[in-house]
Amino acid sequence: MNADVLIVGGGIQGCATAYQLARRGVSVLVVEKDYIARHASGVNAGGVRLIGRDLAEVPLSRQSMRMWHTLDEELEADTGFRAKGLINIAADDADIAALNDRQQKMQALGYDHERIISRDELRERLPFVDPTCVGGAMSELDGYAIPYKATNAFRLAAERHGATFLEGTELAGLRRIGEAWLAATSRGDISAGTIVNCAGAWADRVAAMIGDNVPLSHAAPMLMITARMPHFASPVVGAVSRQLSFKQFENGTVLIGGGAKGFADRAANRTRLDYAKLAQASRTAIEFFPIMAKASINRMWAGLEAYMPDNLPVIGPAVNADRAFHAFGFSAHGFQMGPVVGKVMADLVLTGASDFDLSAFRIDRYDRKVL
Amino acid sequence: MSAALTLSEHGRSALVLDRGVAPGGQIFRSVSTSPLPDRTALGPDYAAGAELVSAYTNSRAKHVAGADVWHIGEDGRILYSHEGTTKQVEAREILICPGAIERPMPIRGWTLPGVMTAGAAQVMLKSDAMVAENAVFAGSGPLLYLIVAQYLRLGVKVAGLVDTTPAENYLKAAPLLPAALGGFGLLRKGLALLSEIRRAGVPVYRNATDLAILGDQRAEGLVFTSDGRQEIKADTVFLHHGVLPNPNMTRALGLAHHWNEDQLAWHVTKDAFGQSSLPHVSVAGDGGGIVGADGARHEGTLAAMNVLTRLGHFASDQRDRLAKPRLAQLRRLARFRRFIDRLYQPRPALRLPQDSETVVCRCEEQRLSDLRQGFEEGARDPNALKSRTRCGMGPCQGRQCGPIVSGLLAKWQDLPVQDVGYYRLRSPQKLLSLEEFSQFQTVVPDEGGTK
Repeated sequence: MNADVLIVGGGIQGCATAYQLARRGVSVLVVEKDYIARHASGVNAGGVRLIGRDLAEVPLSRQSMRMWHTLDEELEADTGFRAKGLINIAADDADIAALNDRQQKMQALGYDHERIISRDELRERLPFVDPTCVGGAMSELDGYAIPYKATNAFRLAAERHGATFLEGTELAGLRRIGEAWLAATSRGDISAGTIVNCAGAWADRVAAMIGDNVPLSHAAPMLMITARMPHFASPVVGAVSRQLSFKQFENGTVLIGGGAKGFADRAANRTRLDYAKLAQASRTAIEFFPIMAKASINRMWAGLEAYMPDNLPVIGPAVNADRAFHAFGFSAHGFQMGPVVGKVMADLVLTGASDFDLSAFRIDRYDRKVL
Repeated sequence: MSAALTLSEHGRSALVLDRGVAPGGQIFRSVSTSPLPDRTALGPDYAAGAELVSAYTNSRAKHVAGADVWHIGEDGRILYSHEGTTKQVEAREILICPGAIERPMPIRGWTLPGVMTAGAAQVMLKSDAMVAENAVFAGSGPLLYLIVAQYLRLGVKVAGLVDTTPAENYLKAAPLLPAALGGFGLLRKGLALLSEIRRAGVPVYRNATDLAILGDQRAEGLVFTSDGRQEIKADTVFLHHGVLPNPNMTRALGLAHHWNEDQLAWHVTKDAFGQSSLPHVSVAGDGGGIVGADGARHEGTLAAMNVLTRLGHFASDQRDRLAKPRLAQLRRLARFRRFIDRLYQPRPALRLPQDSETVVCRCEEQRLSDLRQGFEEGARDPNALKSRTRCGMGPCQGRQCGPIVSGLLAKWQDLPVQDVGYYRLRSPQKLLSLEEFSQFQTVVPDEGGTK
């Protein structure tokens, strides 16, 4: 098998990259060891969030948010995207001080997508919030999408432009032969001019095959979802300094996250849950929204996600090989970035450059210069 | 109960977490507190259950009624809801007995109000002495005939028995009959039920096919083909064509399972003593593979013998000596079971939906056409199909649609069901109140003893 570009990993970054390359006439092959959107891209909380981003990520995230707002038309699919807004709740004055501090930095850079809201506006937008909460920050552009659907929307659009997806196909080894990469996979050898590493929690292994070392770790952020309940929250809800995150979907179910981690068993391709921590997340949800005491948990799960030490992704060219690129390590907030990352990777593959400053996302940013 | 009794006989106690309000499970439900004026109407087997329950009640076993287990971890931690709180217990050895669920029969209209399963009819009868007058019973298998006979003994009018057992099954099962004669008692019981139904004058339709529920808003009857197109008007239709192991607990725990072609069901992969792919977890009874009530008693006892050996109570050769007669009994029952499985093997057309508008997933209202579309869009695996269509995401955790989805994906890809697999399941195995869960802390129940 041959392709101009071989993408390793069928998550949202790999599928969006495949889409952007295929629509520009490039022959693309995606190998995915399980099935499309099996791990972090398919089972995450679906948050499409611009608020609270690391400043280094804001330009990419803003562009991605613009793309989300027209993504369904572009991909001719239903990604489930809803721009319901997102509110980070301030529980006390210390939270307000942190928000003011950030507001100043954002204004200095000319960003206006985050807005501090008063206690009254908080109450108006979230009538069921606990009355002790003092205010918050809001982004009107934010919302959520359905992760599995969104990732597959990119896949199906890429296929319409001629990309090929090989599911159940694991990369076993990579060799550089002349101007080409030769990839050994569980379905035979694939020859490609360029490699793109979008392998998520397995990306450090693919990076090593390419020749780059990277301090990637993995973890299992846990989620739980309730049975349908009456509508009580339209915007996505987070908190400035507490482990609170939930969203109520249009069908009435409430997805509760908050960042608590279970146990990641990467070798076995699975996760286990830490029930004591999930119980803590339940307590936090009820503290902020007493109405949640009436909720019934229907399912709990965790996905395998890749983390970098600074919680910033790796996006950019390989440093120890030609014609190889990386996009991974999104540290539990990469879903929203998918659309723009696909564009950035296609630009890198085709022109060697990007419109964005990617210096914060270099793969070698942790390389030690001396022992 | 049998496992706990065996442990008790050897001086050990067991903690028994039972969702039911009283010992007895499904088969001997409410046997010691029957609301019926005369429980013998339910048959001698049911009444005999009272002996087992009373021996169990008097044993060293610690029975916790109303303990709804919603998580079993491979680390031996068990989480359960009890008296409004979540409790946790750590166990060195675990025996799981989740029992059976009824095989779904996804015919047109099967999700309408007024359509129930024969098992539901039994629960209503045993727990609350409730019956449905003039109901139609459709399907095949011993449980269906048993509930009809029980109704008749109680003087309840039955509108008809629509037997879907394929005519060719009698031929297919005939070669297994000689081997099954070891289970002669069981066979005779089955035949007696059928003749009891015929004698009572209930219309019996044989070799029925093309079943569909009448009605739009609720069941108004059943149409089917049996010597021509037939129609029976009724407010209640009870469907039943066999039982399946209740998969959620063993699946969520990650035990190895395999597809059993005789029973057309997923079985837990286990050894003769019920030990699963996890050394400290055993499975007994219908939850591992359908063995019936008699088989379950033997399996429970054998699992307990194995646990006693693992706890160092006695040596494995001693275990094997004690186990020998039980294992022989189980083999005899298995020969009978193979005959029954073949005879009452359900029609493919009743196991898998035929009409594109038939609802497959009740919780999320996913129809056959929705699933087919998800498949066309690339979902080849039950989990991918679940993510794409929401089929199996509802409160029943796929108990109803799981076997259908695996069967459909196998059919559409012309693959063995074994290769298609099943949903990846998680705890909790029931809807769990957020308030209860938020109060969760490690509570070591005072129901002590060797667990």
